[in-house]
Amino acid sequence: MSIALERRAVRGGAPGAIRRAVTSDIGARIASYLFLLLVWQLIALYEDRFPTPAEVFGFLWIEVTAGSHGGVVRGQFLEHFAATLPRFALGIAISMALGMVTGVVIGASKVAEALFKDTLLVLLALPAIIWAFLTQMWLGLGDDAVVITTFLSAFPFAAVNVVQGVQAIPRDLRRMSSAFGVSTYRRFRYLQVPAVTGYVFAGLRFAVIIGWNAVLLGEWFSASEGVGWRSRYWYDANRYKGFVGWVLVFILFIVLLDRLVLVRLQRRAFRWRDAQLSAIEREAEEVQLGVTGA
Amino acid sequence: MGSTTVGRGPRRDTRLSLAARRRLRGVLGFVVGVGGFLLVWTLLSEFIVGKFLLPPPLEIGQEMWGIVRTGAFLDHFVPTIMRLGYGFGLALVIGFPIGYLMGTSRYWRAFFHDMVIVAGSIPGITYAVMALVVLGISVLGPVISVGLVSMPYVAINVAEGLDSVDRRLMQMSDAFSRRRVDVVRHVLVPSVAPFAFAGVRLSFALAWKVEQLTEVFGSSKGVGFQIRKEFEDFSIPGMLAWVLLFIVFMILVERFVLVRLERYLFRWRLEDQG
Amino acid sequence: MATLRVDHLNKTFPAIERGSESTTAIDDLSFELSGYVFVSVVGPSGCGKSTLLNIVSAIDAPTTGTVSVFEGDRPARFGYVFQDPRLLPWRTVMQNMLYVQDGKGSDAHDHALDYLGMVGLEDAGGKFPSQLSGGMQQRVGIARAFSVEPDLLLMDEPFSHLDAITARSLREQLQEIWVRTKKTVLFVTHDVMEAVQLSDRIIVLAQGGRLYADIPIELPRPRRASDTAVATAQAQILQRFEAMQEEVEQTRGDAEVSAAP
Repeated sequence: MSIALERRAVRGGAPGAIRRAVTSDIGARIASYLFLLLVWQLIALYEDRFPTPAEVFGFLWIEVTAGSHGGVVRGQFLEHFAATLPRFALGIAISMALGMVTGVVIGASKVAEALFKDTLLVLLALPAIIWAFLTQMWLGLGDDAVVITTFLSAFPFAAVNVVQGVQAIPRDLRRMSSAFGVSTYRRFRYLQVPAVTGYVFAGLRFAVIIGWNAVLLGEWFSASEGVGWRSRYWYDANRYKGFVGWVLVFILFIVLLDRLVLVRLQRRAFRWRDAQLSAIEREAEEVQLGVTGA
Repeated sequence: MGSTTVGRGPRRDTRLSLAARRRLRGVLGFVVGVGGFLLVWTLLSEFIVGKFLLPPPLEIGQEMWGIVRTGAFLDHFVPTIMRLGYGFGLALVIGFPIGYLMGTSRYWRAFFHDMVIVAGSIPGITYAVMALVVLGISVLGPVISVGLVSMPYVAINVAEGLDSVDRRLMQMSDAFSRRRVDVVRHVLVPSVAPFAFAGVRLSFALAWKVEQLTEVFGSSKGVGFQIRKEFEDFSIPGMLAWVLLFIVFMILVERFVLVRLERYLFRWRLEDQG
Repeated sequence: MATLRVDHLNKTFPAIERGSESTTAIDDLSFELSGYVFVSVVGPSGCGKSTLLNIVSAIDAPTTGTVSVFEGDRPARFGYVFQDPRLLPWRTVMQNMLYVQDGKGSDAHDHALDYLGMVGLEDAGGKFPSQLSGGMQQRVGIARAFSVEPDLLLMDEPFSHLDAITARSLREQLQEIWVRTKKTVLFVTHDVMEAVQLSDRIIVLAQGGRLYADIPIELPRPRRASDTAVATAQAQILQRFEAMQEEVEQTRGDAEVSAAP
C-alpha cells in the first residue's frame, strides 16, 4: 500500500537474461538512441525537405571517405576540420588567457568588481551572433574575424567563472593562513591555486562549449572553408542531408570533447569540494556549473 | 568607562534605517556598475576600435531612444517575449515529466541521461537553422528552440528536487490512502516546483540568446529579426541599439520579474513571511 | 467503529551493520480492541509503539503474526495524527482538509468546515500552515484525521512536540471531539499521565516490545487534568510503571551477570 518513491527498479526473478539486458542501464541508453532515430525518421517523413537518417549517414560516409557526390565536389572532411580547429583553439586560448587575468582582477579587488562586474554580465548576455555580425562588419571575411568572434563569445564565460573561483576561496581559509603567517607564495600555491583550479576548469568548459558554437557561427558568415562554412555550403545548395550530416559531426565533436575530456578534468579539479554529492547532484552541477549571467 | 549603553541608544535615530541603507547601497552599486560599463565602452570606442566601428554610448543611446519612442520597441519586443514565454512553458511541460521519470526510476534515468546532456551542448546555431529547415519562417521556431534549450535544465533540476521531497508528507499521504495521481499533484509537483523554476531561471539567459539566433535566421518579426535587418542594412548603430535594448531588458527581467515571480509562487514559505 | 485484533505479532528489524544484532521492536504481542474505545499504548522510547502503529496502518509489515482490522465486511478506513502536523505547506488549511477527502465539491467543503469548527479553527481555512502556530497546526491535523470519519483513528504521540500549556488544551479538545464523534482510537504516547487522562484502557509495552500490562481505566468522563480522581489513578499507574522499569533493570542486570564469563 506504500506509495514510497521507487528508487530502485527491483527486478527479482526476472525470466531470462534478455529482459535484464533490455532493462539495464546500457539497454536504456540504446533504447534512447533508437527512440531518437525513430523521431528523426518521423520528422523526415512529415517534412520532405528534411533528410532521413539513412540519407544522412550515407552522405557522411561519402564525405568522410573522400568519395564523390555525384561527381560535383569531392569530400574534404579532414581539410575542413583542419581549417576550423586552429581557429577554435586560438580563440579559446586567448579567451582563457584574458579571462583569467580579468577574472583574477575583478575577483580580488572590490573596486574592480564594483566597476566592471556589470560590464562582464552585459558581455555574457551578448549572443554570439552579434559578435559574428560585428566582426564581419569590422574585419570582413577571413580567419581573423572567426577567431575574434570565438574569443569575444567565450571570454566572458571564462572570466566570470574565474571571478567566482577567486571569490570562493573561503575567507576563513585566507584568514587562517595569514594568522599562521603562511608566506604569500605558499598561500598562493597551496591555497589559492587549487581552490581556483576547479573554477578555471569550469570556465574552460564553458568557454569551449560557447566557443565551438561561436566558431561555427563565425565560419557560417565569414569563412571560406571549415566546418561551419561547409555546413552553410550544403545548406545554400539546398542539399539538406549534407547540412544535417555536418550538424551531426559538430555535435558529436563537442559532445565527445566535453564528456570525455572536459568533464573528467573538471571533476578532478573539484574533487575536494564535491566528494559528497550524489550522482544526480553531480549531474546537475555539470549541466549548470558556471555562470550564465544569472 | 562611563555609562556605556548596549545597542543603538535613543530611538530617535536621524540615520537611515537598515533597509533604506541596504537599498541605497544597491542603488550606488548599480550606478557604479553602469558607470564602469560606460567607461569601458567609451574608452574602447574612442581609442581602440574607433568611433565608426564602435559608436560611443551617446550615439547608441539616441538610437535606443528613437526605437522606444517610435513604438518599434513594443512592436518587436512583444512577440519576442511571448515566444519566450511559450518556449519556457514547453520546457516545463517536457522537462517536468522527464525529470520525474529520471528522479524516480533508474531505467528512465539511464534512458534520458544522454539526451539531456547532449541537449545542453548543442550549438545554438543548430537549433536555429534546423528550425528554419523544418518549419520555415515561423513563430514555432524560436518557441521550440527555447523549449529544447531549457528542457535539460528543468529536467535535471526536477530530478534533483525529487530527492528532497519530504518523506513525512509521503507517509501522511500513504496513511490517508491517497491515490498516486493526487500525491503527484499535491505533494510532488509543489515540492519540485522551486527546482523547476530554478531550472528556468538558470537557463533564462541561454534561452534568450538562442531565441535571438533563431529569430535572426527565421522570423518575420521580433528583436532577432530587427538585428538581422540592421545587419543587412550595414547599420552598426542600429544593430547595437537593438542589442542593448535586448540586454537591458534581459537583465531587468532576470533581476526583477523572475525574482518577484519566484517570491509570489512560493509565498507559503515561512522564510518569506515578515 | 472498528475491531482491531493483534495476534502474536512479532517485528524484528535486521541488523544494520555487520556485528550488531537485529532489533526486536515487537515481541509476541496480542491484544484486541473494538467499538467506541480510547486505547493508549504506553512504554519507554524504543519499545515499538510507533512500529505498532505503522503495522496496524499497513505502512509496515509484520515479521510474523497477524494484524486484522475490520469494520463489518469492508476494509477499515484509517485516520492518522502524527507527532508533527504534516500539513502540505503550499496549500491552505482548507485545501489540506480537502486533500484527504475523497469527494469534492461543496459537500466536502462544508464537511471540512464542520471539523475545523470542532477544533475551533473554522476561520483559519484560508491561511497557510506557516501562518499558524504549532498548536494550531496540530489541531488542524486532528481535525483532518477525524474528518475522514475513520473506523480506526491512529495517533502517534500527537502532543509530544507541543508546549505543556498547548498540549493540555489540546487534550481537552481531543476528548470533546472523541465524545462527539464516537470513534475507535489507538493512541501512542510515552507520557503515562496523558494516557491515564485520556484512555479507557492502557496497554503497557516493555522495552523489547513485550506486553507488560493491560490496564483498564474506569473513570467517568469528562476528565480534567486537575481532577483528583484522575490524579490518583495517575499516581497508581505511574507506580506500576516504575515497578515495571525496575523489573526490566533487574532482568537486564541478571542477564549481564549470567552472560559474564
